[in-house]
Amino acid sequence: MSQANFKFEKSDRSLMERLFEPPAPGKMSFTGNLVAYALLLFWSAFVLFPIYWVIITSFKDAKIVNEGPYYIPFYDFQPTLDGWRALTIDPDCGPYAFVHQIGVNLYNAFAYLVSPLVTIDRMQPAICKVLLAYQNSLIISIFATALCMIVGSMAAYALARVAYAPKFGNIVMFVILALGSILTSTYAGVHWALATVAALALFFLLARSLGRFFKSTLGNNDILFWIISQRILPPIVVVIPIYMMFQAVGLVDSHLALILVYAVANLPIVVWLMYDFFRSLPIELEESAQLDGATRFGIFWDIVLPLTRPGFAATTLLTLILNWNEYLFAVFLSTAKAQTMPIMIQAKNAGERGTLWWEMSAIIVVMIIPVILMAIFLQRFIAKGVLLGAVKG
Amino acid sequence: MSVRKLLVGALMAGAATCGLAQGASAGQYDGVTINILTRPGPVIAGMVAQRGKEFETATGAKIVVNEVPFAEIFPKLQNDWSTGTNSIDVGVFAAGWGVELASAGLLENLDPYMAKDTKIDAADLAPYFREFGMKIGGHTMLIQLDGDFQMVYYRKDILDKMKLEPPKTWDDYLALAKAMNGQDLNGDGKPDYGSCIFKKRNAQSYFAIQTVAAAFVQTQGTAQGFHFDGKTMKPVINNEAWKKAFEIYKETGKYGPPEELNMDIGDTRALFKAGRCGMLIEWGDPPVLALEKDATAVKNQLFAVGALGSKQVLDRATGKLVPVTKESAPYAVDGINYAPFSAFGGWAGAINAKIDPKKKQAAYDFLSYMNQPAQSNVDVTIGWDGFNPYRLSQLKDTALWEKAGFTKDAAANYIGAINGALNNPNMASDFKLPGAQQYSGVVLDTELARYLAGEITVDEALKNIETGWEKITEDFGRDKQIAAQALALGPAK
Amino acid sequence: MAITTETISQPGALPAGAMQRESWGEWSDRHSRTFFIAPAVTLILVFAIFPTFYSIVFALSRVKFSPNGLVFRFVWFDNFKTQFNGNEQAHFLGRLNSISIFGYVFSAILIAAVLWWYFRALMKSSVVGNIGRLISAAAALGLGLLFAATLLSGNQWGTLLNTLFYVFAGCSIQFVIGTALAFLCSQPIWGKSFFRVIFFIPLMITPLGIGYAWKMILDVTKGPFKPFWEFIGLGGWAWSSDAWAARWFVILGDSWQWIPFIFIVMLAALENVSKDQVEAAQVDGASSVQIFKDITWPQVVPVAATVILIRMIEAFKIVDLPNIMLGGGPGIATESMTLHSVFLWRANNMGDSAAVAYLLLILTVVVCSSFFNYVVLNQLRKAHA
Repeated sequence: MSQANFKFEKSDRSLMERLFEPPAPGKMSFTGNLVAYALLLFWSAFVLFPIYWVIITSFKDAKIVNEGPYYIPFYDFQPTLDGWRALTIDPDCGPYAFVHQIGVNLYNAFAYLVSPLVTIDRMQPAICKVLLAYQNSLIISIFATALCMIVGSMAAYALARVAYAPKFGNIVMFVILALGSILTSTYAGVHWALATVAALALFFLLARSLGRFFKSTLGNNDILFWIISQRILPPIVVVIPIYMMFQAVGLVDSHLALILVYAVANLPIVVWLMYDFFRSLPIELEESAQLDGATRFGIFWDIVLPLTRPGFAATTLLTLILNWNEYLFAVFLSTAKAQTMPIMIQAKNAGERGTLWWEMSAIIVVMIIPVILMAIFLQRFIAKGVLLGAVKG
Repeated sequence: MSVRKLLVGALMAGAATCGLAQGASAGQYDGVTINILTRPGPVIAGMVAQRGKEFETATGAKIVVNEVPFAEIFPKLQNDWSTGTNSIDVGVFAAGWGVELASAGLLENLDPYMAKDTKIDAADLAPYFREFGMKIGGHTMLIQLDGDFQMVYYRKDILDKMKLEPPKTWDDYLALAKAMNGQDLNGDGKPDYGSCIFKKRNAQSYFAIQTVAAAFVQTQGTAQGFHFDGKTMKPVINNEAWKKAFEIYKETGKYGPPEELNMDIGDTRALFKAGRCGMLIEWGDPPVLALEKDATAVKNQLFAVGALGSKQVLDRATGKLVPVTKESAPYAVDGINYAPFSAFGGWAGAINAKIDPKKKQAAYDFLSYMNQPAQSNVDVTIGWDGFNPYRLSQLKDTALWEKAGFTKDAAANYIGAINGALNNPNMASDFKLPGAQQYSGVVLDTELARYLAGEITVDEALKNIETGWEKITEDFGRDKQIAAQALALGPAK
Repeated sequence: MAITTETISQPGALPAGAMQRESWGEWSDRHSRTFFIAPAVTLILVFAIFPTFYSIVFALSRVKFSPNGLVFRFVWFDNFKTQFNGNEQAHFLGRLNSISIFGYVFSAILIAAVLWWYFRALMKSSVVGNIGRLISAAAALGLGLLFAATLLSGNQWGTLLNTLFYVFAGCSIQFVIGTALAFLCSQPIWGKSFFRVIFFIPLMITPLGIGYAWKMILDVTKGPFKPFWEFIGLGGWAWSSDAWAARWFVILGDSWQWIPFIFIVMLAALENVSKDQVEAAQVDGASSVQIFKDITWPQVVPVAATVILIRMIEAFKIVDLPNIMLGGGPGIATESMTLHSVFLWRANNMGDSAAVAYLLLILTVVVCSSFFNYVVLNQLRKAHA
């Protein structure tokens, strides 16, 4: 009997076995437990310590920081609000200014909404650097995530349900025409708008006429691979051309520019994750709805999305966090009006008054609190194995 | 439904009244917003914002100060203005960087504005700054807000205690640093450092090395320059003089803090304010900073030397060091050649040529407001704002400084050092031609950092700098650079 | 009557005006295949593909500012040449003056190994497969020889190898630790969800904040580990002036942030290993090590390979941490290729900046494709076998 190999009875087990072998199938040995907890607790400390340190440093001041490390507030050192006060040192950042800022935003939003009917002069908001950066981060992250999720989910759904067959020849033609338009507009002095329109027109013409001769096609998997592989593209490669493109239409340092760019940067992830969710849905529901005469968009919105709600929420949170943390594009594309929080923090990092750790810590705490909260929510979704399917593929 | 809608309605009504109440001040520039781009505060940006508030109360123009990391000021400005984005109306940056922007037609000519300005008191501006700092190609294009010289500071109390003489040459500097290194300079029982210099890459290190090198390389007056040959624009960098300067600069590290290679100006200032440095290479701020309440250890103890000199100078024909003689160094004093280095040229404001005229006038009025003696003479005595003296009235007598907290001796020493530098015929100018930022802040800075970190030898560093500078000169066009350099320094000898 | 039969017998002919009667909704539904995917494709074409092509133009030109915008001067591959044997060679590749005996020995072994690997599969693969192998072999040879000429010969290496160091060393360490943690957490222990939440958080914190936090924590004179540094005799040590210490500390900060990613994925994978098999093996008397090696690991390998690939793709882009912690390191010791490109852009040297960025793209694509083709696909094939 195989049971004979496994010594369950306590009395049958030697000391070594009691220490190192599991007492029952599915459980761990004593030393196993010990080692596991020790390592896990050590790692928890390693993870939490930097966050803890940043938080307590925000409550220190120059003297406390320079005189060596103090670890426990109220015990080792007296916490002060120096760092937090520095956030509001800009006279525009008082508590009244904060309320005023919200009021002005609402007023301006109201003015914008009624602008087709009646023109109301917008009000200039008071400029509190930190508040402005925070606001920009919020607006840009939220809108970029919304755009990304809508566009990405639709594309993922289409790839999961529709069989595409783009002709390889058409794609090659497109590449050649795109290169042609770029080369002529940079070296031959042709205006970029003219070159782009000409190239597009030529493409559609040729696709209609020559397209018939191209036989080899690509499939859904190729399109999916192409979209997902965009993630390999290092942002630094595209950042300068994107700057030039936005400058040509006057959108540099605007919220719209950053929203579009962030949406594209995270599109591959959204498509990849949502594709897996959609593929795992049984197709019968949608087929019956189609027979009943529902439009594709109707099916997508009313039936499919609600079914993938947890996955959708998880992906939204993930994208939101990635957009909040984004740094490189903001460096190049924002100067004054659209500065986001990471940029503002980096600008403060270069101060000329010594290592103002307490001030930097206060700002960093303000910046990471939202992401920590979002991460805790996101984690609950992940715990339910929501995102696993994507990786297994 | 009713409660929520009521709340929203009340909020919006409240917001409207709040907003309306704000716009009550009537001024000639109501509704005008001026966007300024400069380095992160509180240095420079802090005072600009503060004066901006006063200006707004007086005229209604709104001054918004945008801060970007120091190394990004120039690229961002150039991008913003030359691509026509025009998010920024005024740039506050190093006076030397203005040449490249001016040659691209991006700066507003301020001659007509200055002619109409009755309050700016241009005669009071030190001639060096008025002619070399603010003018490009004979026209005023910049408004000086700050005057910059790099000087060497020593702890007077320590020198007196150790019965040592203030330094005159760079060898003296090393000797003093060595003597003071390891001593307890602030009474806390811990050993301190002989010399503190900001050697971090992408920070301010490339100014300090030029302060050291100028005395070895420049001998024939300001118009000679110490970077290029005026007639051919060939770099005058791969020679014994610069090599000696590099080696001295590296050796100061032996008497400095261990993490000096990662210290920028903020870190060194924290150190000397805590009293832990024996000697410094710095701009005009230290004695003023020493008056702050967290610098009690060094209050009035930081004395300045306008420049340190050298007993050997460069023979340009051979590239070797030769002793100081009447021919090799006509401006030498007591056998030592001095060349005070006006590092950075001072923070100055320039106006975007492509914004609308009302904004330009408002911007000019604001810059003039900051520059006028009534405001400027107060600002230069405040340490944290980073403004250093540039007006004759600020450098005339010690009363202004004593009011700020200087002792008579310290004030006399301070303005004496600056005056000496300003009036020195062999004063060395910082880069004032297209590519200024690239020559110094990129090529020189990178190779210097690599040499200090021990990655390359000094000969390799100098060779790389030479190649890098030549490439930049070629990029901009050699003839154009020769002309620009001549304009910046005066005709080549 | 006649009209009705006519229409019925000609099914192809639609009654006049039929097209106009189709509503907007119906028309868009008919074309929904295009509308669903068009926005995504358009965005990617406009903001990813097009700029990549445009970037080639920058990389092949010298760019100047003029009053009317940018002026491009075509210079073929000059910018690339500068990186490989121009005055930027030491910055990009490293110092190559002297090769030590270790370097020669390593090079010889490497060349032999690569050639053997290449020719072994030469006959068995298709043309495309052979070209791919050729590129991978050439890249492996080039990078390996560079490694031999720089590190093994005691020379400083440049941003190219720095980036690869961050990728390979970082990913290996992160994978090992992440999997170990996942393995521990997948065991029947108490407090699993607590650990899961805690371990997940660092992944989401802004890298800029992480860089600054670690800069503060690792400070030897004022940071929390000061007693520890003094205890081991490094009381005055300036790690920021030591090239290798700086690099390892950057990896420390990077690992703190990215180990959670490996952790959650591997945890999910480990939890999907069928418990029955494991318990049956335990009952059969197999030791824990055997169980892991023969049952758990083979089921987890496909996911492991994928997660390493994903981590590697992200690792090539590293820029925030070396910039905030060290500004590029003592000299250029911790500069990654992205940071190198940013510094070049700051100097208004857009041609060289685009060239370095393109080299990074090529490097990323070659390394990741090679890894994908020869490791991931292999594992997936084995798993499905």
